[in-house]
Amino acid sequence: MSVEMRQTMLFFLVFWPVFGAFVSWLADMVSARLRDNTVTAVVVVEFAVMVGMLTGFYQDGTVISGSMASFGGWGLNLEMDGSRAVYGTVAALMWLGTGLFGREYFASHYKSLGRYNFFYLLTLGATMGVFLGSDLFTVFIFFEIMSFTSYTWVVHDETPGAMRAGQTYLAVAIFGGMAMLFGLALLYITAGTLALDELYSAVSQIPEKGKVWTAGLLILIGFGAKAGMFPLHIWLPKAHPVAPAPASALLSGILTKSGIFGVIAVTVNIFRYNPAWGNMLLVLGAVTMFGGALLALFSVNFKRVLACSSMSQIGFILIGVGLLAVLGEENMLAARGTVLHMMNHSLFKLLLFMVAGVIYMNTHKLNLNELKGWGRGKPLLMVLYLSGALGIGGIPLFSGYISKTLLHEGIVEYASLAAGQGGFTGWITLLEWVFLLTGGMTLAYMAKLFTVLFIDRPQQTHPTAKEKKRLEKGIRKRYMSPLSVVTLSVAALILPVFGILPGFTMDKLADLTAPFFRAETAGDIAYFSLNNLKGSLISILFGVVIYVAAMRLLVRKTADGQREYLDCWPAWLDLEDSVYRPLHGKVLLPLLGAVCGFCDKLADRGIGLMNRAIFREKSRDYWMEKGPTAEKLRKKLRIRHEQILASSLSFGLLLCAAGMVATLLYLLYWR
Amino acid sequence: MFLLIPILLPVLAGVLVLAMPVLHRRTALRWFSGCVFVAELALVLIAIFSGGMATPALYLGDNLALMLSLDGMGKLFIGLVACIFTVVGFYAFSYLTHEEREWQFIGFYLLTEGALMLVGSAGSLVTFYMGYKIMTLVSLPLVLHERTPEAIAAAKKYLYYSSFGAFCGLFGIFVLTPMLTSVGFTPGGSLGGEVDGLTLTAVFIMLLGFGVKAGLFPLHGWLPTAHPVAPAPASAVLSGVITKAGVLGVIRTIYYTVGPDAIRGSWVQWVYITLICITIVMGSAMALREDGLKKRLAYSTVSQVSYILLGLAILNEQGLTGAVSHIVFHSVIKDALFMIAGIMIVKTGCTKVSELTAMGRKMPATIWCWVIVSLGLVGIPPMSGFVSKWQLMVGSMESGMGVFSYLAPAALIVSALLTAGYLLPLGLRGFFCGSGVKTEDLEPDGLMLTPVILLAGATVWLGIAPGGLLDLGRSIAAMVF
Repeated sequence: MSVEMRQTMLFFLVFWPVFGAFVSWLADMVSARLRDNTVTAVVVVEFAVMVGMLTGFYQDGTVISGSMASFGGWGLNLEMDGSRAVYGTVAALMWLGTGLFGREYFASHYKSLGRYNFFYLLTLGATMGVFLGSDLFTVFIFFEIMSFTSYTWVVHDETPGAMRAGQTYLAVAIFGGMAMLFGLALLYITAGTLALDELYSAVSQIPEKGKVWTAGLLILIGFGAKAGMFPLHIWLPKAHPVAPAPASALLSGILTKSGIFGVIAVTVNIFRYNPAWGNMLLVLGAVTMFGGALLALFSVNFKRVLACSSMSQIGFILIGVGLLAVLGEENMLAARGTVLHMMNHSLFKLLLFMVAGVIYMNTHKLNLNELKGWGRGKPLLMVLYLSGALGIGGIPLFSGYISKTLLHEGIVEYASLAAGQGGFTGWITLLEWVFLLTGGMTLAYMAKLFTVLFIDRPQQTHPTAKEKKRLEKGIRKRYMSPLSVVTLSVAALILPVFGILPGFTMDKLADLTAPFFRAETAGDIAYFSLNNLKGSLISILFGVVIYVAAMRLLVRKTADGQREYLDCWPAWLDLEDSVYRPLHGKVLLPLLGAVCGFCDKLADRGIGLMNRAIFREKSRDYWMEKGPTAEKLRKKLRIRHEQILASSLSFGLLLCAAGMVATLLYLLYWR
Repeated sequence: MFLLIPILLPVLAGVLVLAMPVLHRRTALRWFSGCVFVAELALVLIAIFSGGMATPALYLGDNLALMLSLDGMGKLFIGLVACIFTVVGFYAFSYLTHEEREWQFIGFYLLTEGALMLVGSAGSLVTFYMGYKIMTLVSLPLVLHERTPEAIAAAKKYLYYSSFGAFCGLFGIFVLTPMLTSVGFTPGGSLGGEVDGLTLTAVFIMLLGFGVKAGLFPLHGWLPTAHPVAPAPASAVLSGVITKAGVLGVIRTIYYTVGPDAIRGSWVQWVYITLICITIVMGSAMALREDGLKKRLAYSTVSQVSYILLGLAILNEQGLTGAVSHIVFHSVIKDALFMIAGIMIVKTGCTKVSELTAMGRKMPATIWCWVIVSLGLVGIPPMSGFVSKWQLMVGSMESGMGVFSYLAPAALIVSALLTAGYLLPLGLRGFFCGSGVKTEDLEPDGLMLTPVILLAGATVWLGIAPGGLLDLGRSIAAMVF
């Protein structure tokens, strides 16, 4: 596409899906088929335009920017540089893949599809806005819209579990959003701008670093919550398993990335080359990475394993972002590793969640014990699964190897840098080993899923008469439609192609994004050198050991020689159930409620107190105020209710006042 | 003298409705008052756009004068009143079929509109006070319309609280009038001479007094009592517009009588902001605890109107702009919420939030509107509430009020979180209620639904294109600072 055309199409990318959402809503009133065709058309056009943008940028390298000054009082500012073109394309691809796969997936058993598709397209527009926004204000606006529209995916099934997960999702999203809003206002006041390009120079002139840090941390809460960063990851393992599979793929593959995108934007623009910020991200990333992998290893739900794996991979990416800051101007490897791992993880999770979707739409089960051996005799499914699993496991010749190697290189570089400066390097070595160990754990939980699907023997089932008949006749039910086969195969094919030819594919894409990371473009790298392969080999060794250990500890053999996968993660280790919810429900809310309830009744109580003081009966009668005895006495003494006034304090005061007036008059006139 | 017409038309119409039995029949009542609403709206628009209107002053004493004049703030107020009263009026036609004595309600409703016009176009403090007091009295029958013991008790509470507030205002007027250099409102204030302790005390008492109508802690108690017993249209205008009359009183006091510089940095500002911050958090927290739907919305009003007061109390341009825009946003949103609450209560007979389940299935269009305006009140972009919240946050951070620069935005954020907690679940549980829930179609008729949709649309539109409103706010701010 030419520059002029890209200029005119910039806002189209954001508003076209929004427009499409309303059209699909209308189409839903006509027929389901028309609606599905509309949705497909919308995502195909979006993808085509986005690819046009990417190729256009690749050819002439002109950054396009546009603004809509009147929107929301502050204006929307969009920009299309290399990194936005790459990530916008990944987003459009994700929507294209899930849109095509969703046609078959949803056709079987789902209701309220008009609603789902409406919000599906609305979220596409919002996500595009997040990636294309050139100032944090624009990003925030679309980020909030995205949070709310994607909520409908999580609760789509309307089961109690889904509602609870949705509650968590929304609570974290709103909390994060509000923290971010505070941070943005603070940053705006301090730096005077929110435009990403101007922030660095503006921030570097500010003497009060405390304000910048406060703002930065608050913004990090907002973006980190969406990314699934520890300790705000709680929504992630809950929300993914309950959402429909295409929605899980998007939540995991792209919505978390929008959070990461924000973290990167803050890191490279506000805290550029700031080691303290980088070290903080490294620690948070390591915890997220290791914790996610541990949770995944213990999970016995297919999609939960993938969800926890997402959390773990987000940790890998966060380490990359941390390295961006700590490596200073030498951060080109880290920049490349970060963006490539983001992109790779999007593609892995697109594929793997669609595989989970294939399983779910055929069996309606996700528990590993009920899925045993379901993949036997389905070679295509095995190839698809393996492509994703080997990719995410970082096996050489698959794309994940490239990005993980780059990140590993970054850690090694940081260790040598720190050693060169005479700093303490012990914890960096520890970080490196945790990194490699987590790589092994990734392999181990993917292998566990593989064992379940393709190696275990299916449970003894008692097929119905109809199924028996089919089995006897040798008719095998088709488990995927041709469209789904094509969609999944294409998604699976990308990974080995990227992995085998990194120099022609991934490096080129990564170089386009370098300006956004404020990094130099890295030259050609010998990914398959012995030194680089060594790290991967260590990870694989770790993986084998962990797999064997996990199969010993987390699996029980039943009497008939079957494996049974145990759910032995202790319930009290759930951060949400044992900390956040009790803190919110049993401490914060009651405390706030008690204080505010006191304030609320303050004036009314005061008036009541005055009433009782002024209209109170004199002390002689006070003991008679209430109770049956008092009533009897009143009757006996024939004190009518109205007489209370005459015997009250106010009456006394009145008499006293009259006396004083009389005295005053006497003093003034007669004396 | 043209300004008298928009004031007298509804008053005259209201008296006619109350006095003439011909107009007590439903059809006649609807046609007559419907025409009055529309004519009134047209008159107000003419008054707004013809500009520079004022009446000669009618002197009661040396420095006491009754006069009408229309400045930017007044235009905004009467425009808002006319729009809201028209929209809610048509809703009331359909709503009141569930009540007795429709004519009585409509009659006093029209009188209230006239009084609010007087409040909005008042050109001096005394005129303002007159309109303010009349407004309280003629809106009283709206609260006690149902004539149940609770309604009468609530109306008494409303009367006592409002009168107390108005007398506080009167005290201030007594003290300040001799010190003013001009009889009418002057942008930026016309206080002559030194600002001494007595002046500050008088200003504080005035602010507190007008704060009663605006639901300011500790005298917000009438709101949660009066709203649940009043009919929904009455709650809507009480909450949406009449509380704003209190806000207008605060604006007239600070920005047009004593001037922002007189109280900047004084103890008045600190104490006032402290009260406001308490109100913001307390209102939302109480709303979260409250199960009664209309009472919950009443507490929400307590909190939200204090957003506006906060914008006024931080005494800078950003804050005033945010406050002015939030006046409009909150009116639109809260009126929509009360009207939807009325629809739900009339259609289901349930008044508790916990009893209103699966509403989204029963009345999808209505609950869609609920969700949209709820998001607006929480302040989620692109709905309107976000625009003003951002202005208020930036304004208070810029104001250099020491610890309050950060405490006030923090209160806003906490309140927003609580607001999400008390408004969103009703809408979301309404749609995502699980399959197998028995539902019936309870969607209201067009006369009730159209006003709600209009206001929900306004919420989105004002959020996407608030430019004109913000410009108006900035022009007002430019005049007074």
